[in-house]
Amino acid sequence: MIMNEWIVYLLFAAGMFFLGLYCLLTMRNLIKLFIGIEIIGKGVSLVLLSTGLARKSILLAQSLVVTYIVLEVSLVAVALAVIINLYRANQSLDIRSLTRLKG
Amino acid sequence: MTFQIILLAAMIAASAFAVLARDLLKAAVALAVSSLILGVIFFRMGAPYAGVFEISVVAGLITVLFMLTIALTKQGDDVRESKTVKIAFPLFFLVFALIDIFIMRGILAKVPALEGAAEAGTFGEVLWKERSFDLIGQLAVILAGVLSVLALFRKRDRHDHE
Amino acid sequence: MIFLYIGLPLAVSAVLPLVGKASKRVLPDILANTVLAGLLVYAATGARALLAQGPVIQQVRWLGEAVNIRIALDGFSLFMLMTIQLVSLCIALYSINYMEHYGAKANYYALLLVMVAGMNGLVLSQDLFSVYIFLEVAAVASYALVAYGLGAEELEAAFKYLMLSVVASAAVLVGIALLFGMTGALGFDAVAAGLRLLEAKGVAGVAAALFLMGFGLKAALIPFHAWLPDAHPSAPAPISAVLSGLLIKVSGVYAIARIAFQVFDLPSALSQVLMWMGAVSIVVAAFLALGQADMKRMLAYSSISQVGYVVLGIGIGTPLGVAGGLFHLFNHALAKGLLFLTSGSVQQATGTRNLDEMGGLAKRMPWTAGTNLIGALSISGVPPLGGFWSKLIIIIALIQTGEAALAVIAVLASVLTLWYYLIMQRKAFFGKLAEQWSKVKEAPFWMTAASVLLALLVIGTGLWFATVFSSWIQPAADALAKGF
Repeated sequence: MIMNEWIVYLLFAAGMFFLGLYCLLTMRNLIKLFIGIEIIGKGVSLVLLSTGLARKSILLAQSLVVTYIVLEVSLVAVALAVIINLYRANQSLDIRSLTRLKG
Repeated sequence: MTFQIILLAAMIAASAFAVLARDLLKAAVALAVSSLILGVIFFRMGAPYAGVFEISVVAGLITVLFMLTIALTKQGDDVRESKTVKIAFPLFFLVFALIDIFIMRGILAKVPALEGAAEAGTFGEVLWKERSFDLIGQLAVILAGVLSVLALFRKRDRHDHE
Repeated sequence: MIFLYIGLPLAVSAVLPLVGKASKRVLPDILANTVLAGLLVYAATGARALLAQGPVIQQVRWLGEAVNIRIALDGFSLFMLMTIQLVSLCIALYSINYMEHYGAKANYYALLLVMVAGMNGLVLSQDLFSVYIFLEVAAVASYALVAYGLGAEELEAAFKYLMLSVVASAAVLVGIALLFGMTGALGFDAVAAGLRLLEAKGVAGVAAALFLMGFGLKAALIPFHAWLPDAHPSAPAPISAVLSGLLIKVSGVYAIARIAFQVFDLPSALSQVLMWMGAVSIVVAAFLALGQADMKRMLAYSSISQVGYVVLGIGIGTPLGVAGGLFHLFNHALAKGLLFLTSGSVQQATGTRNLDEMGGLAKRMPWTAGTNLIGALSISGVPPLGGFWSKLIIIIALIQTGEAALAVIAVLASVLTLWYYLIMQRKAFFGKLAEQWSKVKEAPFWMTAASVLLALLVIGTGLWFATVFSSWIQPAADALAKGF
């Protein structure tokens, strides 16, 4: 029974991954791209916590999720700082203005 | 469980709106709403602390950071997204959802797992005693974030690179 | 106190911005270099002696109570610690002169130290989630360091790097969650024991695939390499050296090797996948490097190719193959660090990275040209330098296991490597001195000193390879093959 519940959460978490990846692959605004990353992040924390629930070790999973959220804040701060600097350098948030490097 | 599924579906809907909304501010708010719902889901899963963190930090602090960035880059707002992306989205999402359900039921339903014993103690004990190493990691990552932001917004005195 | 490897750099980096207020240059220089030198000496002497009685697990006590910080040191992690401190010390020495014109030196050193602490933490942890955390610590610091010049190009590279890297971390974390769901544990050994009980090949395979994708992206193995040729050349030269010399190896190769051996016990399918990923990276990246006119981009593609050798060696799975892979990791860390430093000297002296514009610089910058040649020859596998021995060991190990096709690929790609390095050396340093470079000067003292130090180390590992191999590499390979 508890395993079935896990599958339901994983189903929706996969939906979040899909949304995030769709955003990353199709959008052009840098901030929008980062919103995609955030959505993937939510999917990941849902996977972590629901795994803990399925394993009956919700406390452990909870502490992992808290740590993960702290990591995420730090990452968001750095990424948004890079985006602001990019905007200052290019006067644009369009990914198509990032063509200096060949990739 | 039914209520939980409704919440999860609402979270997906809010996130989809965040992806598709043309206005960045609306997108940021939709993202915050999705975080709020996730916080409630966490709470109902028996993880109140993770729920509180999700609501206060992700829905609160990160949304503020997003708003700030959007305000600071106001003129860049009018990036034209391609139209086909929005039109094609429901189709892609439907295909994905079918594959998703198929895979989850077919393969992952057979995930073998060891029987685990129920854990004892409180959240605080687990975080501070069992996962103390993670706290060092948290400190380190906060330090990395602060130093990075300091470095990225420093005054450029003599360096004119471009 | 092994915990010093994490605690000391973190503590110093926390006070460095304050120190920077009092003294803009001298104190940060001294502080950062002293910390790294101290940790290096400790790795070579104290930690080595600790290890003589077998692997060490340290339980940190705080306020008189044992807290659950279990950090573990075995031959493999000691070898990695040694490599990390050695290369980052040379880089910190080089930065004394090079980072002058970037400004905010204290902040730069602080970020460098956080990155070193992150890598040290990753190497010392025995727990899947801790590996993930310290991976992120090092990664967050590296995004800012790539963008440190704040030019449009640097920022663009940092943004692309950040996006791909975050997706990689997400894949790793989902893999961890999957293993956690199956076994209910996070420690390497506990997960491995659980997996042995379950015999769940299929789901373990999914987790392994997620790890391969995540860590493969961090290690820039083809097809996950797209970010590296942008990110590494755009960063300031010493940071390129850390990223190429250390970060892709620690957060990519080390993590994947540790998990493949200690958690999954290296099933033959995983071994095959690793070997072929390595081989494809070697060949494709070598051809891509051949076509580059930008000096640092050529070096970046070469990094992908050489990391391919390391993964190929480790993927063989026999003691000799693993030892060869690790030895190549060490040689590449030294030589690629050296090459990025010399390319930085050239860039600072001439203001360009374009090989076609250079020429004859050896006359004006003899030290830089000489050290660059040593690094290039070592990576290309010319005897008696270090790179020759490690490639030889990998090839022998391949032949021993009957993988003749891969051995041929490894040999041929090594010729290709020599070819593009000779192109680089000829275009940049040999030939007639171009008119516009007649006033170019040799790099400042510390930049030259750091390059010479690394070049001496490269020559030293080549000449005394038997000693280096038996005292550092063999214990590391044994520890990896045996498990903790």
